[in-house]
Amino acid sequence: MRPQAEHCWKLSRSLAIARRPIGASGRWRRRERVFSSPASLVLFCTFILGAVLGSTLASTSAAQEVNYSRPVAAAPQPESIGADYQLPAVQHVPPRGQGQYALDVVLLVAAMAAVAYACHRGRRRMLVTATTLLALGYFGFWRQGCVCPIGATQNVAASLADPTVGIPWVVIAFFFLPLGATLLFGRVFCGGACALGAIQDVVVLRPVQLPLWVDRWLGKFRYVYLAAAVWFAVQPAPARDFIICRFDPFIGVFRLSGTPWVIGVGVGLLALGTFIGRPYCRFLCPYGGLLAVVSRFAWRAVSITPDREIDCRLCSTACPFGAIENCRASRTACLACARCFASCPRQHAVWNGETACNIGPAPLVELSPPPREPEEVLV
Amino acid sequence: MSDSTRREFFERAGQAVCLTTLVGAAGLVVRRSWALDAWAIDPNRCVNIRLGVNGPQSVCQKCAETCVLSLSAVRAVNDHSQCGRCCICPAYFDVQSTVGPDGLPSKKLCPRDAIVRQPIGEVDPYDPLNNYYEYLIDEEKCNGCGRCVMECKDPAGLGSIRLEVRYDLCLRCNRCSIAEECPETALQRCGADPQPRSPLVSAHA
Repeated sequence: MRPQAEHCWKLSRSLAIARRPIGASGRWRRRERVFSSPASLVLFCTFILGAVLGSTLASTSAAQEVNYSRPVAAAPQPESIGADYQLPAVQHVPPRGQGQYALDVVLLVAAMAAVAYACHRGRRRMLVTATTLLALGYFGFWRQGCVCPIGATQNVAASLADPTVGIPWVVIAFFFLPLGATLLFGRVFCGGACALGAIQDVVVLRPVQLPLWVDRWLGKFRYVYLAAAVWFAVQPAPARDFIICRFDPFIGVFRLSGTPWVIGVGVGLLALGTFIGRPYCRFLCPYGGLLAVVSRFAWRAVSITPDREIDCRLCSTACPFGAIENCRASRTACLACARCFASCPRQHAVWNGETACNIGPAPLVELSPPPREPEEVLV
Repeated sequence: MSDSTRREFFERAGQAVCLTTLVGAAGLVVRRSWALDAWAIDPNRCVNIRLGVNGPQSVCQKCAETCVLSLSAVRAVNDHSQCGRCCICPAYFDVQSTVGPDGLPSKKLCPRDAIVRQPIGEVDPYDPLNNYYEYLIDEEKCNGCGRCVMECKDPAGLGSIRLEVRYDLCLRCNRCSIAEECPETALQRCGADPQPRSPLVSAHA
């Protein structure tokens, strides 16, 4: 037993103190921390003793042959484990498939097409409301806010500035498709496809009209925000920051988690949005600034009335976003919500099939004079 | 030139400029496009997976703490085909703790008790060291703190447990809050083919 004990002592010393692998195969070195206490050292010595005894006895008796070669340098596979062991499924989940990204893009295009149809052909607020609610549900609460064109602005800027920055194709599609749609039909993305716009649109309850100059000047802040976002996005890698995503006020509401003060700002904006229509879209949204520039050259602009203006100013009071100036829709400010249609008398007359009420000069109605009281009854 | 034709001219010119800008920018950007929009952990950058940081006290817990989800989308994943199936797994047991009467360390490493240990194959009831053990990670409990990942690597383990982004949970934030906080920029937007199980390039010093 003397040589084996000595062997044990050397092993324990080299494992616990020198922490050096023993033997050419290095098969014991994965045990090193186990032997920090005497009890495990004893256990290990017994283990070694058994192994040595087993190997010496193995030549005489095959029944004693036990595989003590673990811990091993390579992972044991099912055939060596035996007993019909099946590897459990490794819990890998593949990333989102291309089809799901394509679905996002298709739904974005469909939402913008629905709003464009509602504003230019169908002239129905109902369709815009339905699209808004669906966009809020899908892009907002189901997809939880990412990907959105507002944040994609930064990805595009970063990718243009730094060639090593890759950009997923779905982000490219989300950035450019709304811009293209705006060049055709005005800001139809804002009208019903944007989740951030949608969550503000559903809380517009008692809108008040802001003075025009307040609207104009606060609206300038969008471009300051856009410039700052692009500036931070094009910085080289360690300093790069996506401030639009960092300070996105509604993403915390969609996810019900996030930085507390940013969620507070989001809830505050929603509270403000009950009487000032869509404050984020009008005064903060950097992508809205881009869309406003592009929408100035839109191929088709939203027209309030189906045929001719009668300058009744009912639409101006109905618009919560101050987008109607002098009874005409401002292309850049119009968010394509179709609220003005609902208040337009011409719309009701021409579009809702109420031609029976005849919008021309009102027909003269012969009013019969009131019956005269008999005067000289008592005389 | 009358007023209306001038207006029309400017409108057409503006449309042309906008269209050219959009198409040009799109053309520039499309050449750098990726197929996927996913975040993946580069195992050669993660300080918990990569070798060089020692001990559970120096574990990097950014993945567990900074995700926008209440329970992080980054979880520890055990690749069973790589698992050494040790009796005393350094990722399961706290090997610094005292050894109990059964010869096993008395404490578990995982603070959330998310790893399930069971003997597999032909079980030898008399000698625990003679058995293979399967270590299943309960993904409902794991929060990706990285302690087990830190322990299961050379020289104690084979490196079968790694931190991975669970794509069924990940929200694919445009600005991943973990990536912002990651000390080694290990969490990166992956390209065409994410390979979270790629081999480690460095050996333990």
